[in-house]
Amino acid sequence: MEAVRVENLVKIYHGGIRAVDGVSFTINEEEIFGFLGPNGAGKSTTIKCIIGLVRPTAGRIWIFGVDVERDPGVVKRSIGYAAQETAVDDQLTGWENLYLQGRFHHLSPKEIRARGEEVLRLFGLWERRNDLAQTYSGGMLKRLDIACALIHRPRILFLDEPTLGLDVQTRKAIWDYIRKLRDEHKMTIFLTTHYMEEADELSDRVAIIDHGKILALDKPGALKAALGGDLITLKFASQDERLPALLSAIRALPGVRDLRSSPDGIHWIWVEQRGDQLIPELVQLALSYGIQVDSVRLKRPTLDDVYLHYTGREIREAEASREEHVRARILQRRVRR
Amino acid sequence: MIIMDVVYVAWRELLKFFRARVRLLVTVIQPLIWLGLMGNMMQGLTQNPFIERLLGTTSYLAFMTPGIILMTVLFGGVFSGLSIVWDRRIGYLEKLLAAPISRAAIPLGKMVASAIQGGFQGLLILLIALGLGVRFSTGLAGVLFALLVAMTFSLILSGFSLTLASRIKSQETLMALVNFFTMPLMFTSNALFPREAMPAWLSAIAQINLVTHAVTPIRQVLLFGWDWSSMWVSLVVIGGLALLMAFLAGQSFLRATAE
Ligand SMILES: Nc1ncnc2c1ncn2[C@@H]1O[C@H](COP(=O)(O)OP(=O)(O)OP(=O)(O)O)[C@@H](O)[C@H]1O
Ligand SMILES: [Mg+2]
Repeated sequence: MEAVRVENLVKIYHGGIRAVDGVSFTINEEEIFGFLGPNGAGKSTTIKCIIGLVRPTAGRIWIFGVDVERDPGVVKRSIGYAAQETAVDDQLTGWENLYLQGRFHHLSPKEIRARGEEVLRLFGLWERRNDLAQTYSGGMLKRLDIACALIHRPRILFLDEPTLGLDVQTRKAIWDYIRKLRDEHKMTIFLTTHYMEEADELSDRVAIIDHGKILALDKPGALKAALGGDLITLKFASQDERLPALLSAIRALPGVRDLRSSPDGIHWIWVEQRGDQLIPELVQLALSYGIQVDSVRLKRPTLDDVYLHYTGREIREAEASREEHVRARILQRRVRR
Repeated sequence: MIIMDVVYVAWRELLKFFRARVRLLVTVIQPLIWLGLMGNMMQGLTQNPFIERLLGTTSYLAFMTPGIILMTVLFGGVFSGLSIVWDRRIGYLEKLLAAPISRAAIPLGKMVASAIQGGFQGLLILLIALGLGVRFSTGLAGVLFALLVAMTFSLILSGFSLTLASRIKSQETLMALVNFFTMPLMFTSNALFPREAMPAWLSAIAQINLVTHAVTPIRQVLLFGWDWSSMWVSLVVIGGLALLMAFLAGQSFLRATAE
């Protein structure tokens, strides 16, 4: 079954900004779907339209077959949402935040107690549940925010840049939680990010979005493959008269697209994908022809290359200044108090 | 269930209200200063038959107690609006809107919380006044009645600040704007001075001032006794305004979040 179906979504804000410009896609059940794009691409706006926080200018949206505009109440019960900006009330404890969220989803105190303990343990916050959220670190706040989004056992979880501004360890930990939610709790997950590795590591499928339009949508591997696949550089230890036969055998391997050789004995092999899995096979093959392999190198196109290809922008430039901006804003909030 | 939604929105506010120790302490100390200092200071001035006739009582302290209650409630009402601006800023509002709760419950819950806070503060002030020697002529029933009026009055103020807060998204502007209304409202009322002692023009303003409408019944019941014929107009005005403000606060919130 389809978890989400979006058809020709358009959002034009007051002032004429076309934040989302004719976006269509579907998300399958139990899929982790990534939305990758630079600042202002329209990622948050798309999420907000889907969950009914922002009214679309045009287009239609269904969640588990229910029309979002016609039945917002039903839809809200089946979704969890953790916004880009961590929305935790830091004058309340972790538990109070979670409890209130449960009440706002019309759960009974009993349900909240059972479920609340489960999610807080899952996110490693159980021991700190009675401390004011003020005393939490940025990573803990983010985890609490996601935990709150899970209290009512949503079928689909929307995470808007879940690891923005977090350090590498915390980011990896959150990735693990997200995988666990899908693998063990059968949840569908929609996440936006502008971190390349995040989209690559986590998503089953990725949509690259810029200026409100989807530029590419596929499995991360397929997106990379479309860009030319992996490149294996190979050198043999010895020159042998059986080399031409070996080279034609390599050419005939499934997945090999092209093979070129330089006069000084370097061979480049273009592979559609999974070049790493091909390497042992190549070595075996060479050995069977009695030829020793001297060195092998693998270069895989990264999602970076894909991104650059489609948006014409390097994501890293934007990333640094963006991070600073977020940190400054968090700091500002603290000071204001 | 809209009622449960209102309860839990209010519950969140109250949890924070009673947790903020310093703010709580201020709400006790402030009326103590007002009553203790100003009440005593004015006591000397008011100890003559002419002024006693204007006040209708020999104790200025007793006279000003209802005024201090309403002043506290008046300035406390601003916080409702501020809290919604704050919720919007930290993204909590969005979280509420993404949950399946009734939207109208959000401003209504904040109004209810404000009323309960107002009632609590009123009770503290009455206890302080009692400690300072003020006696209430109608006993416990009168005290409950006074608190009920103060809470209704609180609904008006929080509703007003919430109505503005749906439009005004900066705390500073909201604060300035609300104070722009509350300050004059306070000082053109009979909260601290009897209308009989005012110049005619001020007395005319005071007569229609809603603070006066809240002070009058409280003062009547606490100091003199039950006299419905002199109170019912004020009670209708206060009750009506509270309903109107609840409606406006709900409306403007729904409109502001329709996007
Ligand atoms: N409430 C709003 N009113 C007017 N314009 C808006 C509003 N929210 C977003 N926009 C504009 O819509 C465009 C898309 O914004 P959106 O927040 O969806 O981008 P994003 O991909 O989430 O970016 P980021 O990575 O910075 O979070 C931007 O140009 C932004 O300025
Ligand atoms: Mg965003």
